[in-house]
Amino acid sequence: MLKINQFELTYPGQAVLATVTWSIIAGTQIALLGRSGVGKSTLLRAILTNQDPCIQVLTERIAYMSQQPALIPWRTVVDNLMLGAILRGERPNPSDTDRAQQLLQRVGLSGLANRRTNTLSGGQKARVALGRALFENAELVLLDEPFASLDRSTRIQMADLCGDLLANKTVLLVTHDPRDASDWLHHTMVLTERELKGPYHLDDFSNDRALIEALEGDL
Amino acid sequence: MIRSIGYAICYIVFLLGIWATIVWFFEIPHFILPSPDRVIFTLFSRSHQLAQHAITTGIEIISGLFLGAILGFITACWIGDSKLLQRAAMPLLVVSQALPVFALAPLLMLWLGYGLASKLAMTTLIVFFPVTAATLAGFRQFPEAWEDTFKTLRPKKKRLFWLVRLPLAIPHALSGLRIAASVAPIGAVVGEWVGSSSGLGYLMLQSNARGQTDLMFAALVVLSIEAVLIWSVVNRLSRRFDHYSTN
Repeated sequence: MLKINQFELTYPGQAVLATVTWSIIAGTQIALLGRSGVGKSTLLRAILTNQDPCIQVLTERIAYMSQQPALIPWRTVVDNLMLGAILRGERPNPSDTDRAQQLLQRVGLSGLANRRTNTLSGGQKARVALGRALFENAELVLLDEPFASLDRSTRIQMADLCGDLLANKTVLLVTHDPRDASDWLHHTMVLTERELKGPYHLDDFSNDRALIEALEGDL
Repeated sequence: MIRSIGYAICYIVFLLGIWATIVWFFEIPHFILPSPDRVIFTLFSRSHQLAQHAITTGIEIISGLFLGAILGFITACWIGDSKLLQRAAMPLLVVSQALPVFALAPLLMLWLGYGLASKLAMTTLIVFFPVTAATLAGFRQFPEAWEDTFKTLRPKKKRLFWLVRLPLAIPHALSGLRIAASVAPIGAVVGEWVGSSSGLGYLMLQSNARGQTDLMFAALVVLSIEAVLIWSVVNRLSRRFDHYSTN
């Protein structure tokens, strides 16, 4: 699904961080763990834009949830959830509308379907954005810190939802929080300032010391 | 609201008091600086004449504002989606603004005559740039964080424009319109100064030539009220679209 060959992670005007070589097999769900500033989101955006010759993405159907929810504030929750279909000019068919309603229910926002998103809290906005990424039904799903603004119980519910709906998709979930690398994901890769390491499994982070060693720095 | 109106009235009364005192103390002749009571008397005694001229100027301002806003908005929509077009058109837009409207007025009179058309052209010209520049700034407000997300949604370019980019630009376009509404009377009045047979600018010139300074001041007061009213209406209408914003 995705091949990365000797891709150099850099910020403009700075020295190269890690050089990444990586392939992701279709249908695997992977967490990309790393401390803030090591270039996780940069790598994710490079995959998403698919413009670098070192990166080969074998699908055009990509769903992406950015760190900022990117919702249109003057449109309703359900419109934002179905925004892809609306912007592509697809005619709404009953099955899509049903699927949107079900998704809203699963993300706990069915009562707010017709509310404008500028009236929602940060956590609610994040759930709409997650719902939109899931609604797209894409082959490759890229999630950038999807649960960062959620409380612990909602975080678990949303992880369960992702586990249900993304079971046969290729998923790359970027996070700095090892608690997000939960058991619905096949394995975890760790990005440090020098390299991409892994695969790790949840058991490998059973204690803080092991995690700190993997991340090569403080938590 | 009531308190701010109260403050404004107190302030105006205070300024009128100073004005009246200066006229009385220095014994300034009324054809140089009429006293406020003389201007107020003229406002009432010549109200019919003032109203007729105010209607002419009002039509010039409103129609110029309308036409300039539409042309500015359409131009910005046309070039807003293309960096190449923007680069090509921007110098022309800046030149259109840098050329003082006073310099163009005689030419416009020559081409369009002494009627409404030349004043409409002047006002349109003065309104056009702020609306175009503000709308273009609105198109550039597409949040960077949205770019990647929207790319993955594979939108149709036209739909993205009509459903997202254009609504995002509307509050900016309207802030440009508010600025334009405050400068639009300049276009109309300058046009009347250069050549016309009615309008408050015309009345000012006529009364100035005849030494009727009180009538000139009265015309100025009416023009100010007219300008404030037009600006207030534009301001109130434009506030209705503030929800098309990422904030």
